[in-house]
Amino acid sequence: MKDIKIITEHWGKIDPLKIEDYLGVGGYEALGKFISKMKPEEVVEEIKKSGLCGRGGAGFSTGNKLESVANNPKAEKYFICNLEESEPGTYKDRLIVDNNPHLLLEGIIISALSIGAKRAYIYINGNFEKQKEILERAIEQAKEKKYWGENILGSEYNLEIEIFSGAGAYICGEETALINSIKGNRGEPKYRPPYPTQAGLFGCPTAVNNAETISNIPWIILQGGKEYAKIGAKNSPGTKLFILSGAVKNPGVYEAPTGITVKELIEEYAGGIQKGKEFWFAQIGGACGKLFLEKELDAKLNFSVGTGRDLSVQMGSGSILVVDKSVNIHDLLISWTDFFRRESCGKCVPCREGTFRLWEIAKRFRDNKISDRDKEAVKDILWTLNNTTFCPLGKFSATAFQDAVEKLKIWK
Amino acid sequence: MQTIQKILLEFEPKVENLLPALKKTSATFGYVSEEDAQKIAGYFSIPQSKVFETASFYDLVKTKKQPQILIQVCSSANCAVNNSFEIIREIENSFKIKAEEISCLGKCGEGPIMIVNGKIYEKVNLSKLRDILEEYL
Repeated sequence: MKDIKIITEHWGKIDPLKIEDYLGVGGYEALGKFISKMKPEEVVEEIKKSGLCGRGGAGFSTGNKLESVANNPKAEKYFICNLEESEPGTYKDRLIVDNNPHLLLEGIIISALSIGAKRAYIYINGNFEKQKEILERAIEQAKEKKYWGENILGSEYNLEIEIFSGAGAYICGEETALINSIKGNRGEPKYRPPYPTQAGLFGCPTAVNNAETISNIPWIILQGGKEYAKIGAKNSPGTKLFILSGAVKNPGVYEAPTGITVKELIEEYAGGIQKGKEFWFAQIGGACGKLFLEKELDAKLNFSVGTGRDLSVQMGSGSILVVDKSVNIHDLLISWTDFFRRESCGKCVPCREGTFRLWEIAKRFRDNKISDRDKEAVKDILWTLNNTTFCPLGKFSATAFQDAVEKLKIWK
Repeated sequence: MQTIQKILLEFEPKVENLLPALKKTSATFGYVSEEDAQKIAGYFSIPQSKVFETASFYDLVKTKKQPQILIQVCSSANCAVNNSFEIIREIENSFKIKAEEISCLGKCGEGPIMIVNGKIYEKVNLSKLRDILEEYL
């Protein structure tokens, strides 16, 4: 099971700029199978069976999301591929495009058709200039082969695909903010419900899925949902791209089954800790991730916590930053707090003020001017961020700081 | 020569083209001026306040004139553990320029990341820094 590769199987072996290379390794066979042998609801059923869940970090069931859009009686529907990816330390979706853009495209076409969407958007991070070019080329090649457009592969299906380039805003990875951004508004999140699956882009039912999630779909169509559900952890099956960085020997992106432990990833995939460096803690899931000390590294990486007696941890976006003892914690605290201060959209007061005050306190801590009153205030700020912010960004902005106080005991 | 009118004509006046048009304007002229914003507002038939409301939100759309040499350094966690703060301090101390700290560009494997006037430099260290900046000074 360890060697099973779904997304990275052909990385480095095929030319991402040539559709022929992808076709040569069985590309677009899943689309062909869907067009000739399957009904849209069978695709959704297959994805539900697979247990595939959102790889952007939230881990929501992909099958349920697609089903609720598919069952919506409104005629106009949209499918959006979320390629915003601006979580610090995360660059898996970028590599999917760099190495095998057609796999993603095939997934997009199948999922869009399965929910009855006539138009699919790819919302790509504004900084991914090169990746945008690769995708544009892939889209063009796929159109020539009639994989999208009118009467796909001679069938009744029609689909338009469009790339929408973001403009540098972390919050636009959140689906309601992303939709606002396409509509030409500030990328601020919206109150849910109604969920985008009920009223999303231009008021129509919309499925927003992460690029990595979508890239799993061709495999599921070809091999079946049951086979997929056998891989990895029971409650969130499949493989996941993990991004290892920091003080490991071989930083990079690795595909591994879910349910793997942090320790295995560091030791077996990334070659262990660099020589001469001493492990301090690992941050899992990007800037909003929790911190793990050495004794906690046996935790299994999952999308849902609290199932079974095993110690499990939410993997978020799948990034693992290994921090060694030579790193200046003041720099990191400022990095975390400044990131959230900059990226807070300003819509709700707890997040706008809370992230700003945490940043101020982090600066005072660096300058050795921190007072007892600050330390008390941090408790209040963290509680407020955790419990009262409008969207998950605000809640997550407290996570790393809280762990730094509780686990790393930075005040001492 | 590129003018705001020419840029606008590349886009259909639909709301989903507002952000792309703002990005293009900002990239071409360095920022979105009040004058340009007025023309954009007219073209899309929306109030000027709405143009700035959207424009001021995004990092890649500038609403103020930018310095001649704009240095941006990523200070997100992965670049921070690779000493990006040391680079920011060095730029300030030795070159007397205030570097703008920016968020992750998704190039974490190649950090620390520095951008000078839109050009991206990877794996920047203190000795490379001097060579890079001398090109601009």
